[in-house]
Amino acid sequence: MNNRPELERGSVFGDVEKFRYADSTADTLTNIKINIKKGEIIGVMGRTGSGKTSLLMLLNGLIPHFYEGEFKGNVISNTMNTQRYRVQTLSRFIGMVLQDAETQIFSLTVDKDVAFGPSNLAFDRDKIRNAVTFSLEAVGLKGYESRMTTGLSGGEKQRVAIAGVLAMEPEILVLDEPTSELDPKGKLEIYELLNKLRQKRDVTIIISGHDSEEMLHYVDRLMVMENGKIVWEGKPEKLFTDITLTKNLGICPPEITEIGKLLSNGDKETLYLTVSECVADLTKKLKLSSTPIDNKATNYNSNSPIIIETNNLCYSYDKKSSVLKNINIKIHMGEFVALIGKNGAGKTTFSKHLNGLLRPTNGKIFINGRDAFNINTAELSKTVGYVFQNPDHQIFAASVKEEIEYGLKAYGFDEEEREKRVKNVLRFVGMENYEERHPFSLGKGERQKLAVSSILAMTPQILVIDEPTTGQDWEGALKMMSLLKELHAKGHTIITITHNMRLAADYADRVIVFADGQVVLDDAPANIFKQTDILNKYFITPPQSVLVAQNLKPFGIMDNLLTVNELVENIKSKLN
Amino acid sequence: MLIEYYPINTQLHKLDVRTKLFGFLAITIIAFIFLSPVINFFLVLISLLMLIWAKAPIKRLNLVIKPLIPIFIIMLVITGFTYSPSAFESEFNRNILFYLLPDMGAPFTVGGFQLGLTLVMRILTMVLASSVITFTTQIEDILQLFKKMKMPYQLAFVITTGIRFIPTMQKKAEMIQEAQITRGAEIGTGGMIKRIKSFIPILIPMIVNSLRMSDNLAVAMLNRGFGAMKTSTDLEEIKMTTKDYVISIIIMIILVSAIWARNKNVGVL
Repeated sequence: MNNRPELERGSVFGDVEKFRYADSTADTLTNIKINIKKGEIIGVMGRTGSGKTSLLMLLNGLIPHFYEGEFKGNVISNTMNTQRYRVQTLSRFIGMVLQDAETQIFSLTVDKDVAFGPSNLAFDRDKIRNAVTFSLEAVGLKGYESRMTTGLSGGEKQRVAIAGVLAMEPEILVLDEPTSELDPKGKLEIYELLNKLRQKRDVTIIISGHDSEEMLHYVDRLMVMENGKIVWEGKPEKLFTDITLTKNLGICPPEITEIGKLLSNGDKETLYLTVSECVADLTKKLKLSSTPIDNKATNYNSNSPIIIETNNLCYSYDKKSSVLKNINIKIHMGEFVALIGKNGAGKTTFSKHLNGLLRPTNGKIFINGRDAFNINTAELSKTVGYVFQNPDHQIFAASVKEEIEYGLKAYGFDEEEREKRVKNVLRFVGMENYEERHPFSLGKGERQKLAVSSILAMTPQILVIDEPTTGQDWEGALKMMSLLKELHAKGHTIITITHNMRLAADYADRVIVFADGQVVLDDAPANIFKQTDILNKYFITPPQSVLVAQNLKPFGIMDNLLTVNELVENIKSKLN
Repeated sequence: MLIEYYPINTQLHKLDVRTKLFGFLAITIIAFIFLSPVINFFLVLISLLMLIWAKAPIKRLNLVIKPLIPIFIIMLVITGFTYSPSAFESEFNRNILFYLLPDMGAPFTVGGFQLGLTLVMRILTMVLASSVITFTTQIEDILQLFKKMKMPYQLAFVITTGIRFIPTMQKKAEMIQEAQITRGAEIGTGGMIKRIKSFIPILIPMIVNSLRMSDNLAVAMLNRGFGAMKTSTDLEEIKMTTKDYVISIIIMIILVSAIWARNKNVGVL
């Protein structure tokens, strides 16, 4: 930073030597230098626990005002030194949206909630009404004014939270992982919205998250955090073309830049930023094939016995609307099934039928050939283990050991057997010697593993896992998926719900697409993801490598490829 | 909460918050000055009619009233036995229905039973009448009233926000229970003690969760500029209309005549 930074509204200058939380023994942030210009969109990436949230909290004074500790340095947001103003005062100019939408909604109806911020700032009534109308329109919730906030979906709540901050007309908008609980369509909408805000209002935007593809497309500059430091800063395309560096920083590179990188030969770098760029370039290089082949992936293993079968399964909360309509699914022993579809499509509702947490209002479900209707959940759970989406809702004991033992005790295993199982399962998930740790002292990834372990200890034949990678960074997600892969190899039948199409493509051997409470597609992943038109209709975007393969089909590229490496190999063989 | 606010446009929704609170106050006073179950029965009826008039989901009241039923029964029994015949003014109420113990021990009096009925009706009146308020009045209006009366509005905000999070906490409790059921716990079955015991493990994650939530809430309030200015704007000014004044006067008249009647010994036992 120069001696005297040029102070402009909407800009942020920061020079923070260190920050350490009052109850912590290590510095959370060290040597942070920030220089953000008005109207820029900045992405903040990095592993979970690298200090992203703390960095964002510097910008509106939550650090050091609310989160106290050892603070050395200065942050000047919107020409105001954050140490000299209260957070409430700064909130007029620097809006902040937190990760958990639920705790950011204060009122019963949408319009009242959006008006809460500007009311606190004592805007006059007409101004508040205009701000509410503008903000709701901006986030795509026009017409939601008198809706009850309790009845909104997760994505809608997130948008109400953003609208609530927008209505305060901030110069700078800070968002902490606003997309982590959203489906791909919801994610894209948030980034589109931010882009529009910048264009229309010249708002400065700082957003953190793990969405490489969207970051590549929408942000001007990336800051990557590691161990409380900003270790990399620059244009996103520059980071994402350096695949090794990206991976070392714990970030998942977008498939499209990885494809470009792998296709580069020698000194000539190819750089693709979008699927269409990649396709256009390769179209020039590849020769038209005389016989484009329609490759169909071999179907999933259907020889082994059926262990789950549903027969016109229907479910409804009340008489008027049904959540599940005539679901007919046969799942064979040893399959690895991914359930996909946008939020509210019925995936979780369906999976809760598998261990009797919900009972069909119509139709039947058979587990191992037995009609599950009259078997209670405790009994069914011996066969079907269910891991919930949020580990914090299923961890309740005071130590890791007690947590895992809970189910074993309920099923009457003796102490010796319990000890043995706890040890085994902890070794299996790579958490040896964690027995006496308190669950809430563990990181998010470890808590997720603990949740899985507590189910695994009971050795269920079938494992149902609801969004195992949500809220985790890329490395955490990969670790979780390889754990599932190992379990699958050991003979467990795996059923997982996921929004991550790459993981579905890479790990599952069968994909079931839910939409509006119905099964719309059910096939091997390669066969599912090539049906782009149908998927589009249900707001599902296949992985980028699949899209590239689809578009290059006339050039003899196989269209049943799922991974970047498979695709690149295939393209290379045609280029020669 | 009893029945939470729902935005529809009935006459009761349109009344000013002050009129409704005055009405609530009046019905409470009347319920407490009369001991007669007949009069209290009418109060229950009036409150119920108002709820129906406000188009409230009456069925939801079951959730509040059902758990109270054992308490009601206990109240009826206890009052029946605790009041000796001499405690009542009228001959009828001094009648004894039966004796619990031989040799005329522990008499169960008509008056005591009636008193028990009154206590039960009073509770019902409170539940129904407060539901009328919560169903037809926005929290913002109540907060505004607090502000107008120079009462600690911030405190009121904290309380109402707490109320707003009760359903959220209920949902969390359900999720935790589901997780325990999937691990072989049998919740809600077995004897009383077993049932209570099975709820203990829910408390730990609930407390952890709510601590975390309250931290997040505090941050979110700061982010929304809570307390940034000395005043804050109210989107809609609460206003007493002619109708409000007329109804308030009518309530006043009823209240005064009720107190007058009570002084003439109407409705005693």
